[in-house]
Amino acid sequence: MKPVRFDYERPVEIGAALALMQDEGRVVKIIAGGQSLGPMLNMRLVQPELLVDITAIPALKRIEDTGSDLIVGACVTHADFEDRRVPDVTAGALAGVARGIAYRAVRNRGTVGGSLTHADPSADWISILSAVGARVILRSASGVREVAVEDYMLGALAADLNPGELLEAVRIPKCSASARWGYFKSCRKTGEFAHAIGAVLVDPDRGVFRAVMGATETRPILVIDRAALFGASGFSTGAAEEVAQAAGMGDLLDRRTHAVALRRAFEQADAA
Amino acid sequence: MSMVSLTVNSRPLRADVEPRTNLADFLRDSHDLTGTHLGCEHGVCGACTVIVDGEPVRSCITYAVACENAQVTTIEGLNDDEVAGELRAAFTREHGLQCGYCTPGMIVSARDVVLRMPDASEHEIRVAMSGNLCRCTGYVGIVRAIRSVIVERKARGAAPRADLRTALGPVGSGHAGAFAGGADKTADAPPARIASPVSRAATPRETAKLDADFVPQTSFPQSFVVAHPVDVVWDFFGRVDEVAACLPGASLVGTPTPEHVEGQIRVKVGPMVAEFQGVADISRDDARHAGRISGSGRDTRSNSATRGLIGYTLTPVEDGRATRVDVSIGYTLTGMLAQFGRSGLVQDIAGRLVSAFVQNLEARLGQGEGAPAAPVVTELNAGSLVYSVIVSRLKELWRKIAG
Ligand SMILES: Cc1cc2nc3c(=O)[nH]c(=O)nc-3n(C[C@H](O)[C@H](O)[C@H](O)COP(=O)(O)OP(=O)(O)OC[C@H]3O[C@@H](n4cnc5c(N)ncnc54)[C@H](O)[C@@H]3O)c2cc1C
Ligand code: FES
Ligand code: FES
Repeated sequence: MKPVRFDYERPVEIGAALALMQDEGRVVKIIAGGQSLGPMLNMRLVQPELLVDITAIPALKRIEDTGSDLIVGACVTHADFEDRRVPDVTAGALAGVARGIAYRAVRNRGTVGGSLTHADPSADWISILSAVGARVILRSASGVREVAVEDYMLGALAADLNPGELLEAVRIPKCSASARWGYFKSCRKTGEFAHAIGAVLVDPDRGVFRAVMGATETRPILVIDRAALFGASGFSTGAAEEVAQAAGMGDLLDRRTHAVALRRAFEQADAA
Repeated sequence: MSMVSLTVNSRPLRADVEPRTNLADFLRDSHDLTGTHLGCEHGVCGACTVIVDGEPVRSCITYAVACENAQVTTIEGLNDDEVAGELRAAFTREHGLQCGYCTPGMIVSARDVVLRMPDASEHEIRVAMSGNLCRCTGYVGIVRAIRSVIVERKARGAAPRADLRTALGPVGSGHAGAFAGGADKTADAPPARIASPVSRAATPRETAKLDADFVPQTSFPQSFVVAHPVDVVWDFFGRVDEVAACLPGASLVGTPTPEHVEGQIRVKVGPMVAEFQGVADISRDDARHAGRISGSGRDTRSNSATRGLIGYTLTPVEDGRATRVDVSIGYTLTGMLAQFGRSGLVQDIAGRLVSAFVQNLEARLGQGEGAPAAPVVTELNAGSLVYSVIVSRLKELWRKIAG
């Protein structure tokens, strides 16, 4: 199990990386931590002609505080969040979730930008970053655009990334002191990809209510209307199942599992 | 080839390796450091775990070039390490190994747990060690060994780790400047490239036999509505070449008969491209407006194979002006692709194929007989802009069906 031969370049500036991606004569792939691409390369499911390693670009490892948001470079790793080298602006949500992604050796190299772009519906960042209302900043030779994380995933393994575009950073809005979060990942073995995810952020001072049913077959289901999930007697699993059905989740067992994952996420948020 | 320099077990090491050489092969093949073991080669088993810049890393999915100038420590470099020494003694005492294949990775990961989690409970140890698989011991001895080292260190007030990482980004990165032109094009052997479609078409096709008792591993339903009467849709479904023309990425080989077809379908999903070549048998029941397609195919690039059983039934809806097509898709996927073929992913991809198919079908039927329209969607490339259109269309269809 070895990858096909490929060329390798390691630019130190975003501009140089974007220029390399313009090469129409070759199949060019970006590599960040390689923790998703590596297995696919080893199995020859992906056969690039040029790998552009973006991990030597300091601008992609930058963290910036704008006052209202924290901007985190695409090449910041899961372990950077876990160990709080990334300042906490979400009442501990991102560090808490990062801790449960894969295994420590994978977290030491896997990046937030790589995870979002790989767009596995079962991955953790897509769900929790949708719940905290984060956005991705995408850069190409012609400029910059921003997309909400929940819209960045188009479907299984498909991100809204145009040819020649790079995920530069993630914009994370700062929570208020009143914020509470919950996250429940249903999987049979720790460190495994989830079968169902419930992710919740409630921030009354900012008027934010965001609930996510993740690890669906495709994009995460985001609910921002509290009334769609809560009845007179609190959280309604039945209502959550209806939301899932309306979003196209056809299988009953799937809907139940996702509704229960979401309920548990709310229970965790309430207990906080 | 490219010259890669690393500091391994405190010694500077260099080797002229290809960019595709992973760190494990660099250590084992170029420098005889065979203590690092390779198991799964895709990040799951943990046998290859080594220390890079003080942190555990999978050496099977980390390329040596990507760690240029980093500090690497393998099991051979832990001979005089205090914690590793304590772990070795504890593993011996507690029966923490049998064949030893997993042990180098176990010791590296366990050392990280002991230093990073000095208060870890048994449960926390189990969670933290879940990325290291052992086929022999049943883990009890391993967990007990790690726990005993933690307890003993705590009792004697051993210091936790002092050299905490401060740098951001993937461990191993950031020590070297730009690297340009690891051009393997200059290498003596030409790079192993994908055979061109032309040369591939010329090779005799090896197709799996169709098996009458085949039972699919996974099945799921799909439904869609076409704005044409049942008879029109039924006739159309009988014209195999036209149906194929509506499937993005599909092309036929030779002339199909109503009962048998040969061809290929190319599906692009994220960075992966699979091209299945295969055969299918078709049977149709005119009275019930029901059909069955039984096929098998092979993707030589990823060395994967699939068998599928598709059934469809047509039902008139909207007072006969439209037709609902209920499809049941059953398949079994084997080989490399199966590693990624979790049923959810396959369903999402099938859903996208079907919606693109419906779009093309409607365009064709809309043109009337004899004027074959160019397909609207020619390749299933979810990254393309067409995709957002498909998504909204699919939602619309859903509402139609559900409501
Ligand atoms: C054993 C194992 C278990 C795992 N378990 C989990 C889990 O439980 N939960 C989970 O969420 N994840 C899990 N993962 C995946 C892991 O989180 C990966 O690290 C992550 O998905 C990819 O990040 P990366 O930096 O390694 O990206 P890479 O593998 O380098 O790249 C992934 C894809 O993104 C593209 N890309 C990367 N960065 C950029 C960028 N900045 N701009 C544009 N394109 C880019 C690449 O071209 C590639 O297509 C697991 C991985 C392994 C090996
Ligand atoms: S060989 Fe690297 S994790 Fe299995
Ligand atoms: S001792 Fe044999 S695999 Fe662990």
